[in-house]
Parts: sequence; structure tokens; C-alpha cells
Amino acid sequence: MIAPTTEEAIRLASMAIPTRAKKVAIVDDDELMRNALQGMLKSVGLQSQAFASAEEFLKSGQQHETACLIADIRMPGMSGLELQAQLNAEHCRIPTIFITAHGDTKMRMQALRAGAVEFLAKPFDDDVLLESVRAALEA
Amino acid sequence: MNVLSKIQRYGLAVISCGVALPVAWPIDAPASCLLLAVMVSSLFGGLGPGLLSVALSAIAYEHFFLWRTASPPHEPAALLRFTAFLVATLLVTGLMEMKRRAEHSRTRAEEALRQANSDLARVSRATTMGEFTASLAHEVNQPIAAAVTDANTCLRWLMRDPPDLEEAREAASRTIKDATRAAEIISRVRQLFKKGTPQRELVDVNEIIREMVVLLRSEATRYSISIQTNLMATPAHVMGDRLQLQQVLMNLIVNSIDAMRNVNGTRELTIDSQPGENDELVISISDTGVGIPPQEADQIFNAFFTTKPEGTGMGLRISRSIAEAHGGRLRAVMNPSRGATFQLSLPAKGDGQG
Repeated sequence: MIAPTTEEAIRLASMAIPTRAKKVAIVDDDELMRNALQGMLKSVGLQSQAFASAEEFLKSGQQHETACLIADIRMPGMSGLELQAQLNAEHCRIPTIFITAHGDTKMRMQALRAGAVEFLAKPFDDDVLLESVRAALEA
Repeated sequence: MNVLSKIQRYGLAVISCGVALPVAWPIDAPASCLLLAVMVSSLFGGLGPGLLSVALSAIAYEHFFLWRTASPPHEPAALLRFTAFLVATLLVTGLMEMKRRAEHSRTRAEEALRQANSDLARVSRATTMGEFTASLAHEVNQPIAAAVTDANTCLRWLMRDPPDLEEAREAASRTIKDATRAAEIISRVRQLFKKGTPQRELVDVNEIIREMVVLLRSEATRYSISIQTNLMATPAHVMGDRLQLQQVLMNLIVNSIDAMRNVNGTRELTIDSQPGENDELVISISDTGVGIPPQEADQIFNAFFTTKPEGTGMGLRISRSIAEAHGGRLRAVMNPSRGATFQLSLPAKGDGQG
């Protein structure tokens, strides 16, 4: 039931991405998680940049160069969903994959409706995450 | 009293009477000297030695002094003096015994109170932690998720042709770090539930603050609260009970989080530790929450006073009594802009002071 929504979201999201941008950004307040995600992406040959907060990511100006965003939902300060809303407001539609430990159905629906391509619960299946990242980058 | 053995206590009675006698003889003051001997025996020896000293001094009084100045024999005044002396010594022994028993039961009551306080603190700690089960689960889940990802990454490097051992090694050491963090969190939580008698040891309050921030970070994040710590660079040493101090800091941090749950605007929790006046250590926990209404400022430390729907009204009460038991103070002040600050002052224990 989710699949068509996801594909639709990728299609919509990909329209706004410059084709040359192939960067993956990670936004997570947990250092171990950031390192793990960066390591995972490196092992499949993808370069990534990690940010400890949504504010840090927005301040960096990288949002316009980012082809795929992996973000935690619950963070101090701006939450992942708020970041998504902010990016949407800036017409910066980055395909976003949320990873969270507290995902409920309502939160999931909200994220997907706002254009998220995937919503994964921690601990997540690496293959599913990598598949979503690849799909986002190839879109 | 327990320091002396039974023989020593009875010996003390004999010796004090033996000393009182030659002292009393040249100055002819049997009543005061022997009474002093009885006092010493009852005070340090207890009831038995007290009564022995009464008997000994009565014999000494009767044998050496009663008829010394009385002439002719059987002078009623001498007998009266002797009777008064006997009554006084018996009364002293009785009073000393009563005092000793009262002290004994007070010590026992104090011990029971200490144990009850410690049990209450432990239960309250467990209750507080119980409310955070979801957040704690998240706090443990986080490094486990990272460990799973790192272990998978490690496998991916190994399955390459040829395997990239250097990258695999790095992923494996990250996995170890992740798992160690999960284990650390679990061990910290277990420590909070531990039952123990209050202990005095050298405690670094900065370390406790860091531990509490790790445990409660997730709960804060749940309400989009950021936690800032400005801790003094040197260890913030105090003599105290680690568990009880953890309890105080946990209560204060949890209160601040609760105060900010529903406010709009910045939600910031700041924890400072700094040296204060008079060799004190001051820990401030400041929030941007709802603050304390002036009419409630005096009541918040009262038992059973609470503003929370599920509050027990014991948190601040327990915290303040723990602070006072450590020779410190706990007070609340309103912030000039928004929210409240709780200040915990504790006597600092410098490294050089042993």
C-alpha cells in the first residue's frame, strides 16, 4: 500500500534535484549512528556528509547540493519532520529517508505525505536503506 | 559505652571510687567526690557499674566519713546527710541509665529513618526511571542499531573481492564502540535501581551530571529540548552518597523537562557547575519552562505539593533533604526572562584536602 506513494514521492522529489548533485547527507544527533551510516555508504562507494543537527545542515547550505537525505526524526532543537517542512518551504525537495526508533503510523504517514521516500525503524535493514538511497540517487 | 568491655566498665566503677576516696579525705568532701565517681561510673559504665559505684561509695562514706565529724554518735544530721547522699547517687545512676536508653532508642530511630529515607529515595528513583522506559529503550536501541549497521558494513567489506581488511577492521572497531555504549547505558540504569545503605565517598558531581544527561537525553529530545552543560574543567568533588546525588540531579532535570514540555519557543535546559563562595560547589539547573508562580514559590519544597497530574509531591522534598544531609542547600529562583533555575550548593571537597 505504501509502495505507490513512495514511488510517487521519489518521482515528485526528483524533479527538483539538479542532475549533477549526487551527494548524500546524514542528519542525526547521535554520533555513533552518523559514523555507522557514513561507513555503510562508504562500503557501497557513496560519499556522504554528516550533520549533528537539522540547524547545522540548513546553515551549511548543502541542501541545494544534496541528492538524498537520511535524517533522524527525533533530535534536540529542530526535529526531522520540521526539517522536512522547512526544506519544502524553501522549495528544496530532497528525497528524504527517515530513520527513527519511535515511529508510529501517524508520524510515518505525515512524513510520507510530505515527500519522504522511506520511513525505517531502528535497527533497520541495511539493504532496504541502501536500496532507497540508490533509488533516490538514480531518480 | 560499647567501646568498653564489661570487666573494664566494672573496673572503672571500682577505680573511680578508689580515686575519689583519697581525694575526698584531705578536703573532707565525701559527698561531692564520691558523687562524681558515681556519675563517671554510670555515664561510662552503665547501670551495673553505676550501682556498684553507689554501693562502694556508700560503704566508703559510711566507713570513713559518716562518724568523722559526728559527735556524739547517731547524730541525726549525719544520718540525714548520708541518706541524702544515697538518694542522690541512686538518682544519678537512674538518670544516667534513662539518658542512655533514650540515646540508644534515638540512635535506632535515626538509623531506621535513614534506611527509610534511602528506601524512599530508591523507590522514587525507580518510579522516575519507570516513567522513562520508552526513552531508555530508545537510548539503548540507538547504539544497538548502529552496531547492526556497522557489523553489516564490516561483512560487506569482507565479502568484496579482494576483501578490504582495513575498512573491515574499522567497521568492526566501530561495532565494539557501539556495543560498549549500549552496555554502559544498561549498567548506569542498573546502578540507579541498586539497593544500598547510604555511603560517604568522594564523588565527582560533573560525572553524575554527564551520566544523567546520557540517560535523560532521549526524554529531552522527545520534547525538542536541547541540553547544554557548562561544567567546570576540574572534577567537582564532594563527599557524599553517589546514588542520592544522582537522585537529586535526576529530579531536577526531570522537573525542568516537565516544565518545558508544553511551552512555545526555545526549550533549553542548561546545567552549570562552578565553584561558589565559602568552598562551595554550585550546580545550577536552568530551564526556559513555565517557571514557578510567586504564590507557589514557598510551597514547592513541601511534601505532597505537586503541580503535575501524576506527581507524588516528593521529588523536591527528597532532593532538599538529601542536599541538607550533605551539608548543602537547594533553592529555586525565577529566571529574569523565562523559566526557573534550581541551585544546588554542596560543600566542595578539594583534592588537596584529602
